[in-house]
Amino acid sequence: MSTQHSRPAVDSETRHRAESFIYRETDLLDTFALEEWLELLAEDFTISVPVRASRDPGSEQDEFSSRSYYLREGIERIRERVGRLQKEYAWSENPRSRVRHVVGNVRILDAEGDELTVSNNQHVFRSYGDEPDHDLLSAQRHTVLRETADGFRIADRTVYLDHTVLNTKNITLPLL
Amino acid sequence: MATESSDPSRTDRLVERTESGLDSGRFPMEIINDEEVYQAELRRVFARAWVYLGHTSEFEEPGDYARRYIGEDPFIVTRDENGEMHAFLDSCMHRGAQFCTAETGNTSHFRCPYHGWTYKNDGTLQGMPHMNEAYQDLDEEEIQLQEANLATYHGLIFGRIADEGPSLTEYLGDFTWYLDVLFNATEGGLTVVGEPHRWEADYDWKTAADNFSGDSYHVLTTHQASLETKELELGPWEELDDYLEAAYLSCTDSHCAAYYLSEDPDTYMGYPEEIEERMHEDLTQEQRDLFARSVFHFGTIFPNTSYIHGIQSGGWGGPWVCLRKWQPRGCGKTETISWWLVPEEFADDEEFLDDSHSGWNSLSPAGAFESDDLTVWEGISESSGALTHELRGTEGNMQQGMGDMTDLTETVDDPVYGPAETTWQGGYFDERNSRMFYQAWCEMMSGAANPEGER
Repeated sequence: MSTQHSRPAVDSETRHRAESFIYRETDLLDTFALEEWLELLAEDFTISVPVRASRDPGSEQDEFSSRSYYLREGIERIRERVGRLQKEYAWSENPRSRVRHVVGNVRILDAEGDELTVSNNQHVFRSYGDEPDHDLLSAQRHTVLRETADGFRIADRTVYLDHTVLNTKNITLPLL
Repeated sequence: MATESSDPSRTDRLVERTESGLDSGRFPMEIINDEEVYQAELRRVFARAWVYLGHTSEFEEPGDYARRYIGEDPFIVTRDENGEMHAFLDSCMHRGAQFCTAETGNTSHFRCPYHGWTYKNDGTLQGMPHMNEAYQDLDEEEIQLQEANLATYHGLIFGRIADEGPSLTEYLGDFTWYLDVLFNATEGGLTVVGEPHRWEADYDWKTAADNFSGDSYHVLTTHQASLETKELELGPWEELDDYLEAAYLSCTDSHCAAYYLSEDPDTYMGYPEEIEERMHEDLTQEQRDLFARSVFHFGTIFPNTSYIHGIQSGGWGGPWVCLRKWQPRGCGKTETISWWLVPEEFADDEEFLDDSHSGWNSLSPAGAFESDDLTVWEGISESSGALTHELRGTEGNMQQGMGDMTDLTETVDDPVYGPAETTWQGGYFDERNSRMFYQAWCEMMSGAANPEGER
């Protein structure tokens, strides 16, 4: 996970639009408005969630795997997954988890042509069923936003988890 | 660690009840999530069985190590400077401190952070601060890390805490025939790619091991959402005219396998064609024929190792091998560790790896198939711990395939199915592998054969 970007020249209006987009998009995930969320994805959208390993302190290898991912999909499969989640017997989210993203540290990491790379930190609260306890997933997202005639569209997203052993039974799309 | 036992013989009585119930396809629900049973499992099953620790391809260089567990005990699996494999308990022989700080790495020595006692990666003492002043009369030979017994089979490394017991090949028995077909199919064998998926959830390790022993029946309901999703519905079934008729179950006296065979004699699990030339010369003609007709294999090596080997197909991606360890993390808590393996011959083929990763990923915690299982398993665990089951002696049901339950299964007798008793259509209509899994559990849990527990 690289955060060593020089501060790109982005005007405050663009910065504000990017931030607002991330907040709105995240709210769609929290509310399981996944059909609406799909409309914000570019036709060449890709998403990946690399496995993170705890390495030897002196290791030069990145903690994030370049080989293994929890999720690595393109737009077609993401559409399939949204359809799948809406089925009555998609037990992973039936009943629906109660999900809340708390997003912070929104920063523009890069600006090139019509694309911005936006980073945000997040804590994702999840509770499920008739239970008082909850899971908490902590991560940093890097999202590539592309400027289009209809506003921003998400071209790519990588979710860098802060977990080497996940503490929740599964990772469904709204948790990312 | 051990909990108070108000009735020390309760576990033994439950084991006896389980064993006698299996004859009529019943089992006491309360064995699934019970603190006393779990504590007994750590001592009687996990300390006495050969437990999977890793694959030799993860430890190619001297100094390579990984932190792995037998039961809940943290061991460090190392390859020493002479190339020998070891597994040491992560506990300094001075005051017991832990000294391994990472999941994987490479080191020639381990230094304890408490007082600086240092060990070579073969487990022997290297030295400690002020050794000449403070330890003039120390027997250095005596200071050696606690080491597990270690044995490998086609790259699979197993460790055992108990010194007494069968050799690994005796323990695996006839099941080696099936392991050969999967882990020694090609000359190069299998190799681990990347890092494993790891996730912890509130389910009992037995539920997972039993499920992978041969339960195709659950796929119809648990995974119904995936089966009805356009791109995912293809699965391995697209290679088959009728998946019920393609399903077989084989089990030895402890270990269980299930597989699907195609009428097409040249599936070779969907691997690139050159695999036909690279099949291992040690395979018998029957093993080769089984592999050549296969589209899907899964199974459980008792107690807590399972595998899936699936063909290239539909939305599942290319052929992949997923090796699982159901790592106990406390009563009713299990960490799933899921490794991705490919034949060594294709380990540098990026296009193949992309496809294979996609297949393996369908079983990730974010996978389209896997994500539904754990919701069900967590529910099993929580409700199996219900006091009602204990007070009423509730018994669960695994009667499929017994007596006159079905006329659709058939015992098949052909060397292509290997040395174990094999049932056609068993995955859907016979729970014999589940019964065998619990039979093996009963044997290890029976107090009489438990020298460890009497210390």
